[in-house]
Amino acid sequence: MTASSLPSGLLLLFLISSLDWLSTSAFSSDPNPMTSSDSLEPHFTECISRDQETFRCWWSPGSFHNLSSPGALKVFYLRKVSPVSEWKECPEYIHSKRECFFDVNYTSVWVPYCIQLRGQNNITFDDACFTVENIVRPDPPVSLNWTLLNISPSGLSYDVMVNWEPPPTADVEAGWMRIVYEIQYRERNSTYWEALEVQPHTQKTIYGLHIGKEYEVHIRSRMQAFSKFGEFSDPIFIHVTELYSEETTFPLTFILVFGTLGILILLMLILIFQQQRFMMILLPPVPAPKIKGIDAELLKKGKLDELNLILSGGIGGLHTYAPDFYPDEPWVEFIEVDPEDSAAGEKEDHQGSDTQRLLGLPPPVSLNHHLNIGCSSTISFPDDDSGRASCYGPDVPNQDTLILMAALLPGQAEEEEATLDEVERAPSPEGGESHFVQSQTAGSHTWVNTDFYAQVSNVMPSGGVVLSPGQQLRIQESTLSAEKEMQRKGKEIGACEETGEKKQKGLQFQLLVVDPEGGSYTTESTARQISAAPNSPTPSEGYQTIPPQPADAKPAATAEDNQSPYILPDSPQAPFFAPVGDYTVVQEVDSQHSLLLNPPPNLSPHPCMPQQPLKALPATPVAYVTPDLLGNLSP
Amino acid sequence: MLGYIRSVPAVWRVLVCLVFCRNLTSIGAAPICTNAQTGCQALSLANLFDRVIQHSARMHGISNDLHSEFEQYFLPSKNQIGRVSRNCHTSTILTPNGKENAQRMAREELTEVILKLLMAWRDPLWRFHQGMAHNHDFNNFSSNKALEMSDMVHELRKGVEKVADKMQMLGIISNSVSSQVSPEALLPSDSAEWHLMRDYDLLYCFRRDSNKVQNYLKILKCRIVPEHGC
Repeated sequence: MTASSLPSGLLLLFLISSLDWLSTSAFSSDPNPMTSSDSLEPHFTECISRDQETFRCWWSPGSFHNLSSPGALKVFYLRKVSPVSEWKECPEYIHSKRECFFDVNYTSVWVPYCIQLRGQNNITFDDACFTVENIVRPDPPVSLNWTLLNISPSGLSYDVMVNWEPPPTADVEAGWMRIVYEIQYRERNSTYWEALEVQPHTQKTIYGLHIGKEYEVHIRSRMQAFSKFGEFSDPIFIHVTELYSEETTFPLTFILVFGTLGILILLMLILIFQQQRFMMILLPPVPAPKIKGIDAELLKKGKLDELNLILSGGIGGLHTYAPDFYPDEPWVEFIEVDPEDSAAGEKEDHQGSDTQRLLGLPPPVSLNHHLNIGCSSTISFPDDDSGRASCYGPDVPNQDTLILMAALLPGQAEEEEATLDEVERAPSPEGGESHFVQSQTAGSHTWVNTDFYAQVSNVMPSGGVVLSPGQQLRIQESTLSAEKEMQRKGKEIGACEETGEKKQKGLQFQLLVVDPEGGSYTTESTARQISAAPNSPTPSEGYQTIPPQPADAKPAATAEDNQSPYILPDSPQAPFFAPVGDYTVVQEVDSQHSLLLNPPPNLSPHPCMPQQPLKALPATPVAYVTPDLLGNLSP
Repeated sequence: MLGYIRSVPAVWRVLVCLVFCRNLTSIGAAPICTNAQTGCQALSLANLFDRVIQHSARMHGISNDLHSEFEQYFLPSKNQIGRVSRNCHTSTILTPNGKENAQRMAREELTEVILKLLMAWRDPLWRFHQGMAHNHDFNNFSSNKALEMSDMVHELRKGVEKVADKMQMLGIISNSVSSQVSPEALLPSDSAEWHLMRDYDLLYCFRRDSNKVQNYLKILKCRIVPEHGC
């Protein structure tokens, strides 16, 4: 197996094959150019099997026209099934077609066949050898049709799916023949067929056909792994016109354009007509301060009478400023300062207004200065946020103002007249009180004594502004309120009577019971708070702390009193009213719907007051009542 | 360079094994399970048949490609009788020559015929491949195809044996199938030109026999696993 052996082998082969060229045969793969057309011997034209079970052979007499008559030429075949084989004549002649048909019984696949075309006297004109599987040319497929797949967005080209059925003569289902197909297509007027890839499936997609052009498609089949194709099928025509494609796209764009315009116009209209709303959304207005029930316009117009009516809670006016009406404003704690408290507070040290403290001025010297001295030492609170924790000075401008202010105090709207009576009566039982009131009336009512921040309680018809209880006014208010509460509690609280005896014992504490539902409130200040002087530092200034467990702090004598949390300020002794700060912590709510507020811190040191020794004030928490706690408080 | 060329067939052998062994692992490597045992893959008979038929179709395709390629080297001889008269070494095996003959044949016989054919071609193809690999006149493509062909015959035989075993297990055929045939590879002298001629005849014969195997398998499947159109 050297390199030189190959050329010699090829040469040998060439010599052998060249001898075969002398004889022409229809089975040669390359056409023989040496065949002369004038003397054409009878020869086999073709042998074809369509189903690999039968086959046919055709011959032609060539130029030997005298042999064209039937029977002049005979076909003999040799089937090499056995070592010894003999030539047999064609089993079935079809002379009209010059065909020799071998049916199933005479057809053997994979067996070499040789056929000979013999004339008279056994002259062999042509012979050929083959095997049946090599001469199989399947029939063309049937039922060729096409469907439109899609059209390109440009509307110029489209895709088509072509499908067909395998040839009925080929036994494809049993697998006896495996057929592959080849599709060819061309434009109507073209001569060149475009051939697609051979594949065994019975459908094929043709891409990129042009709109408006007519196409011709045909198909043929062959055996897989063999080379001989069958005949082409009848062509089908594919034609897609432009009109169809344009109709579909033109209105679509039209609709899109107009739809977009319409939507835009609609949006503009909405924007224009709902401009207000959009402005509200984009630029919300800044909320102005508002008081419930009070019209800002009313204030502007200066209708004081109506305003007074409204503020006092008159007909159709504001509701009483009860804690339950302000669930969302927990910081609003309404404290009524009893006039008795204020009287008691008078004896306390009222150092002066917050203004004075802030300015560092000495406290004003009033007639009741001796009462103030005792309290002055207690006033040393660093923070004075409420400004009302200090002792109240006797600084009531006049009794009228006091009455009005007391009347206008929240929670006392209905009993304005009663309050007036109380105020008038108040001074009578307690001389000190009236004295206090008067003293307070006579007290200097200068601006110095007013604080930086004061609540406007009323606007006088004369045009003056009555400030809310300042330090000096607290006492009167508490006095008035206490008087009023006395009247009220008498009917609301049943335990007032039993506590009356307690008062006789000289308990120097006063109860201001808060009734959330009634819209009034009272503060409770126990004696120990008052008496527990410096050793009970208040947690924070401005808060009137109330011991949570009155029973703990109070002495045994007063233990019984604590069971009824109310102690009417009816004691013959001069009750003192613990001055109540503007903001007081609600310690607890008892069963009588009363808020027990913390007394002001400055009440705790009360050396001036005759009191019984009480236990020290326990530290009380300072906290605001939150709405949820408030809800818990009200049973 | 020579070492590289020699190693390439080895590499190709490994690659071909990986490709085709994977296809037939279910037939060759994995044991056929009676029940759903863990670790083995229970394939249905129809599935096995499909795999085997697919394999035989590919084998026949490669043999056809190689045969066509060889025809470029050799001028097509008119005198096909001489060519055909050179018997293939498998001519002694009796095979059905038509569709009806194959359909009439007993299943066991048909299976045995297939196995005999496959068995007979194992060694000749291997020698053919060896001859091609050493002959540098042929490009590596043809040599690789020859290698692929010989491996495929080997794998296909194993596959058909598995199918036969499964059929015997299912009781479709009796246990008389035996694939022990005497290899009849009668190869003439070792001269160069005869060698080449022999290769061409070998390819011709193998092309014919692979077509036989393919058709027989199809008919067998149609008879055993009924399908529409059978």
